[in-house]
Amino acid sequence: MTNLKSLRIGIVCPYGWDAPGGVQAHIRDLAEYLIAHGHMVSVLTPAADEDALPSYVVSAGKPIAIPYNGAVARVLFGPIAFARVRQWISQGNFDLLHLHEPAIPSLSLLACWAAEGPMVGTFHAASKKQKAIYAIGPILEPVIEKLSARIAVSEAARLTLTAHLETDAIVIPNGIYADRFTAGVAQPKWSGNTLGFIGRFEEPRKGLAVLLDALPLITRVIPDIRVLVAGPGDSEEFVTKMDPELRNRITFLGRLSEEDKANFLSSVSIYVAPNTGGESFGIILAEAMAAGACVVASDIPAFNSMLGDGEFGSLFPCENSTALARTVIELLGDDERRGLLAAAGQQNAKRFDWDTVAKQIFSVYEMAMVGRDGVRLASETRSWSRLLNREEETR
Amino acid sequence: MKTTLTVLFVVFLFLWYLSFSATRLDRLHHRVETSWANLDGLLQRRAAIALELARSELADPASSLLLTDAAYQARDASIALRSQAESGLSGALRLLQVDLGSDARPAEMALLSELSELSAKIRVAIALHVDSVTSTRVVRQKLIFKIFRLAGRAPLPVTYEFEDDAI
Repeated sequence: MTNLKSLRIGIVCPYGWDAPGGVQAHIRDLAEYLIAHGHMVSVLTPAADEDALPSYVVSAGKPIAIPYNGAVARVLFGPIAFARVRQWISQGNFDLLHLHEPAIPSLSLLACWAAEGPMVGTFHAASKKQKAIYAIGPILEPVIEKLSARIAVSEAARLTLTAHLETDAIVIPNGIYADRFTAGVAQPKWSGNTLGFIGRFEEPRKGLAVLLDALPLITRVIPDIRVLVAGPGDSEEFVTKMDPELRNRITFLGRLSEEDKANFLSSVSIYVAPNTGGESFGIILAEAMAAGACVVASDIPAFNSMLGDGEFGSLFPCENSTALARTVIELLGDDERRGLLAAAGQQNAKRFDWDTVAKQIFSVYEMAMVGRDGVRLASETRSWSRLLNREEETR
Repeated sequence: MKTTLTVLFVVFLFLWYLSFSATRLDRLHHRVETSWANLDGLLQRRAAIALELARSELADPASSLLLTDAAYQARDASIALRSQAESGLSGALRLLQVDLGSDARPAEMALLSELSELSAKIRVAIALHVDSVTSTRVVRQKLIFKIFRLAGRAPLPVTYEFEDDAI
C-alpha cells in the first residue's frame, strides 16, 4: 500500500462471529490484511463464545437469531448493544469506521446512528425488492446517508441498494488469498472424473438437488463419475432419497480445512455451482478459479458477472438439470477446452486477490478521510444551538 | 390539563424533529464539502502531472503546448466550467498516451503509471461526489427543509456533470 501512515480503523460486523458466513470471512481477511500492513484494527461483532475470539475482535454481546431474507440471521440490537457500540466508538479513537451491511437491523446500523465522521459502508446482500425495506426506507435514509462512501460487493448488490435506498455505490469485489488456492496440490483420491461441490448443501438455494437430478443422465455417458460434496450438514436426508444405484457415486466429505479446500479444488475435474439464487457474490467460484478448477455454474446474475458471461467458466440455465448434465458431459469429454477454461479462470481470479481488493478499499478509506479529523459520537444536540443562533440573526 | 400535556408533547416532538433534520442537512453539506475537497485535490494533482509531462522529453512541442494550455485551463476554471475544462485535459492526456507507445524512459514511465492510478481514483471520487450532491439536493427539496429554511445560508451544491468517458 502506498500510504505508510498507520490508521486506527474500526470495523463493525453485523452477524455472529462464530457462525460461518461470507461477511464474517470477508471481515476477518480484511482485518488481518490491514493489521499485516501496519494499521490498528478493532472489529466489533456479536459473538456467542467470547473466549474464542482473536485479539483484534471485541464482542458486543450474544447474537439473537431472527428470520431474515429467507434464512436465519444472527444479529444483535437493543439498548445494551447500543450502549456497547457507543462505548466502543468513544474509546476507540478511530480515524475511520467501516460498517458492513448497515441496512440490516444489527450492530452496523447502530454504529452508523451513533457515530459521525469518516464512515464507509459495505453492502453485501443481493435480494429481490422487499416490501419491508420500503416501509422502513424513510427511517433508514437519514442514517445511511451519513456514510461518506458506499461499497457494493457485486453488481447485484449495487442494484439491490439503488432499488431500495436510492443511493449509488462503488463496486469492489470480495477478496480471496489467491496464492493459497493456487498452491493447492491435486490429491489422487479426489481426482479422475470428479465433480466438486462445496457449501451448506442442506439449504435449497445452494442447489445440490439440481446436481443430483443431473447425475442419472451423466452416469449413462460417464459410468465412473463421482460427486464429492464438502461442507457442513446432515447428509442422511439426501442419501435416503436417492436411487440406491447412484448412492455409491456420491461422497460426503464434511467440512474441509482451508488447506484441504485448496487441494480439493485443485483436484476435481469440474467444480459445480448449481445455486438457484440468493447469491450476491459467490466467493467460492473465485476460490475454485484461483485453484485452477474448471467451473460450471448456474447463470444467476452474480455468477454471470463472476465468470465473465462464460469466458472464465461454463454457465447453464438455472435449475435446469438436463442442461447441467449436457454441459458436464461435454466438458469431461474435451480435455483441451476444460484446460483452457481453467487457465482463463485462474487468470481472472487475480482480480479478487487481497492485494488488489484491499488497495481499492484503502483508496476509498483515504477519500472518506479527506479533511476530517476522526470518528466521534454524533452530537445530536448541536442543531439546537444552530436553531437558536438563526433566530437571533433574524431578529 | 391532559390536552395541554398532549399539545406540549407534540410541540416538543416537532421541535426535536426540526433539530434532527437540521443536523441531518448539516452532515450532508459536510459530506459534499469533503467529497469535493477530495475530488478537487485529485484533479489538481492530475493537472500537476500533466504539466510535468508537458515539460518532459516525452512530449513534442505541439502536444506540450496543448497539454500546458489544457492543464492551466483546468486549474483556473470556475466550478461551473470545471468539468468541461477537466474533460479537455483528459482528451489532451489521452492523445499523448496514444502517441507514446513503449519508448518512454523509466522516469516518465513512473509519471504515466502514477497518472493511470490517479485516473482510477478520480473515477471513484467523481462517483462519491455525485452521490453526495444528489442526496443533498434531494433532501433540500423536501417541504420541511424549505419552510423552515433549515439550509440556512449554505449554497445549493452544484451538480458536477462528468461525461462517462471524461477521465
